Amino acid sequence: MNLSDVLETTKKEPHCGLCKIDFLGTGVCSAGKKHGFVAYWPEGRMELARALAENEVEPSVALLDVVNSCNLCGVCDRQCYFITQRRPTKAQQALKDYVTTLPPNSLKSTPEDEIVKDLRTIVGNNWATNDPIIIASYIRSIIKQKSLGKYYIVMPQTTEEIVAIVKLANKYKIPYLPRGNGTFFGVALQTLLAEPATIEQGIIIDLWRMKDLHVDPETITATIGPGVTSFELQKAAHAHKLRANVAEAESCVCANAQNLGIVTTWSNTYGWGTDNFIDAEYIDSTGTIQHLSDKDIPNPYASEQGLLSLSLIPSVIITKLTLKLHEILDDEQAVFVPFTTLPEALDLAHELAKRNIGISLAVLSRKYLTEFISPTHEIAEDFNFIAEKYLKLNYVVDVICDAQNKKIVEELAEVSFDHAMLKSLILGSSKLASMKESSLLKTIAEEENPLKAVFGGPMRKHFEKGLASSPQELAKVFPEDLRDFFEKLYSKPELTNPVWLHSFRILPCRMERKHMWMYRGGYMPGDKKTILKVIDALEKPAQTYNIDGAFGFLSYLERGKLAHLEYDYYYDHTDPDARKRVNKAIVESWRRQFAIKGVTPLEFICSKGLHRKEHILYPFLPGLSEEELEHFEELIETLFGGEDTW
Amino acid sequence: MVKYLSKEWAELAKKKVLTELDKARDLKNMNTSLLNIIQNVPPDNKTMYFYIKFIEGNLEELITSSDESIKQKNAEITATGDYTTFVQISSGQMSSAMALLKNRLKMTNKMKALTITKPIDTFNGCIKGIQTEY
Repeated sequence: MNLSDVLETTKKEPHCGLCKIDFLGTGVCSAGKKHGFVAYWPEGRMELARALAENEVEPSVALLDVVNSCNLCGVCDRQCYFITQRRPTKAQQALKDYVTTLPPNSLKSTPEDEIVKDLRTIVGNNWATNDPIIIASYIRSIIKQKSLGKYYIVMPQTTEEIVAIVKLANKYKIPYLPRGNGTFFGVALQTLLAEPATIEQGIIIDLWRMKDLHVDPETITATIGPGVTSFELQKAAHAHKLRANVAEAESCVCANAQNLGIVTTWSNTYGWGTDNFIDAEYIDSTGTIQHLSDKDIPNPYASEQGLLSLSLIPSVIITKLTLKLHEILDDEQAVFVPFTTLPEALDLAHELAKRNIGISLAVLSRKYLTEFISPTHEIAEDFNFIAEKYLKLNYVVDVICDAQNKKIVEELAEVSFDHAMLKSLILGSSKLASMKESSLLKTIAEEENPLKAVFGGPMRKHFEKGLASSPQELAKVFPEDLRDFFEKLYSKPELTNPVWLHSFRILPCRMERKHMWMYRGGYMPGDKKTILKVIDALEKPAQTYNIDGAFGFLSYLERGKLAHLEYDYYYDHTDPDARKRVNKAIVESWRRQFAIKGVTPLEFICSKGLHRKEHILYPFLPGLSEEELEHFEELIETLFGGEDTW
Repeated sequence: MVKYLSKEWAELAKKKVLTELDKARDLKNMNTSLLNIIQNVPPDNKTMYFYIKFIEGNLEELITSSDESIKQKNAEITATGDYTTFVQISSGQMSSAMALLKNRLKMTNKMKALTITKPIDTFNGCIKGIQTEY
């Protein structure tokens, strides 16, 4: 197999980083676990295969080590197929075949320079490198593609080692940048944010080895190192019947906390940002260890607001975070209220938020619902079509609450469904997709209220029966050699349990199965008028630049006073024209959002996760004037050049 | 070749801006003063200052100094950063706005700075043409 045979797949590698966590109970890549560097993990092998195929890196002796460390055990295929329908072993096989084509003894070792020698003195010989092959595996997940800079990768294990690395970088006058699991970079580096989000040369500090994790059930807190992922923390918290407010399973908690403050559907009750953080240990740019709780440091919570507060690179490196956990109730249940229109869904969700109903509360789009729960993108597309055309199901108010509140939601809603129906939809999604032309669905579509007919009326039983849902049925959509695994996997109760899925968040990366996406939206006042204006401000640029844009989810904060919206632009990041269009749409969406009072686009929260939200969002800033918007455009041009260069 | 931030460099920079830039077209008739505070200047890691003042687009002052009394000029905007960052800005490798986004510059009065992004970028683009020893 040639590297070019797998190029289509490797080019689309989204760098979600889920292969680094044991989210399906398969274990993880043994080579990755042993060596740590991204090159030894499935995502890195995919990137290496791409970089070699596109002549962005020359092979070195390190390539042999990377290639030989893989025994093609297939764990990564199970993990990756579940999320992105990709099979990393194919890229690995192509790498193995490629190595055999190289002339014997043609591969050379990379000589050490002074900087890597010093880094190795700090962290040990195995944990620092200047080898281009290892460095190439970080392209597109922290290093900009085609960057000409000189890089080093270092993997410290202690705070003291990071202090020494920062001081070393200062001594050599080179920049440094920490990397958690690269999830933010994986998305941002495909856009015009690539330049400001990363460094042009210098030391990449990969924090994967810093996995200290301690849950204290007495104080209901956890203290973690920067290499701990959301999934790992949630798993440890659940062992004590506790829950952490965490982002997607694969993201590193410290990085996410520092970057965006961790806003989730659970933020309705658990809050956001410093609502959840008790203390952080961090290292400043001089290599000094500080704590948020230190009394002699400048106010760590103060923050600038608005247009000029954009800063995509954090000023400090978090090395330890103590955060609040939350007790899991015995009677937590899910209830979903389907809607045809967004204003109706917002009305109900806002009402619930104001009354503090819903430990987790969100308005979810049809797109998210169908993409997250469908085993393949093709099924998701059919499901999406059916939901829109026949069921008139475009939005869902998605609630996790106690039994009493569930009754209230069910009373307030004309129609709703719960765990049992969601399980049927997950396990029956392939059957549902196959019913695209069925008479049953056409009959449902003719009903006055199809949602009521399916989820609340007499047709519900026929619908559920029609789905014939079972793990055996669902497993048929997977490649033959993976079917047994997926049948067993989908027999596990948690895979169809909405409460577990909301806590562990293993499904969102399914958004990346076909295309890359760019997160749009941000924070805004919680009134419906503003929210709809913002959605319009995001939708228009997508239409103008022919980007597939879609509402993702909306969660309320502070009893409905504020809202956080995610709207996504989907595009093919391997297509230069699509990248140009998405960049233009991003700039246009900023412009439109800044014209609305009280709106803070997501990027402008970056690096402010540890500041108090009160300093970031209040007072609501007035929308920018025409004159200010003109200056904004000049700023964009200065930063990124003219449109033609994007 | 002149040494970065030396008096000779400042003289050349001033001359170049006065002769090559149009106060209306390039400098947008801007009225402002900007003090760059440049930290960790080699060889002994001292702090240097680079002050500019424009009135109606005319470059009135361009001063480099190691004397912190220059702060008494009460510049409208101050930008603080490391020597390597200012080398990148003055040599045209990075705009000051990008340095700000990368968290390599701390700036006061950012709202005013926003209004002069373009002419300041043009100013930096002009002085990068000086044959400089960094």
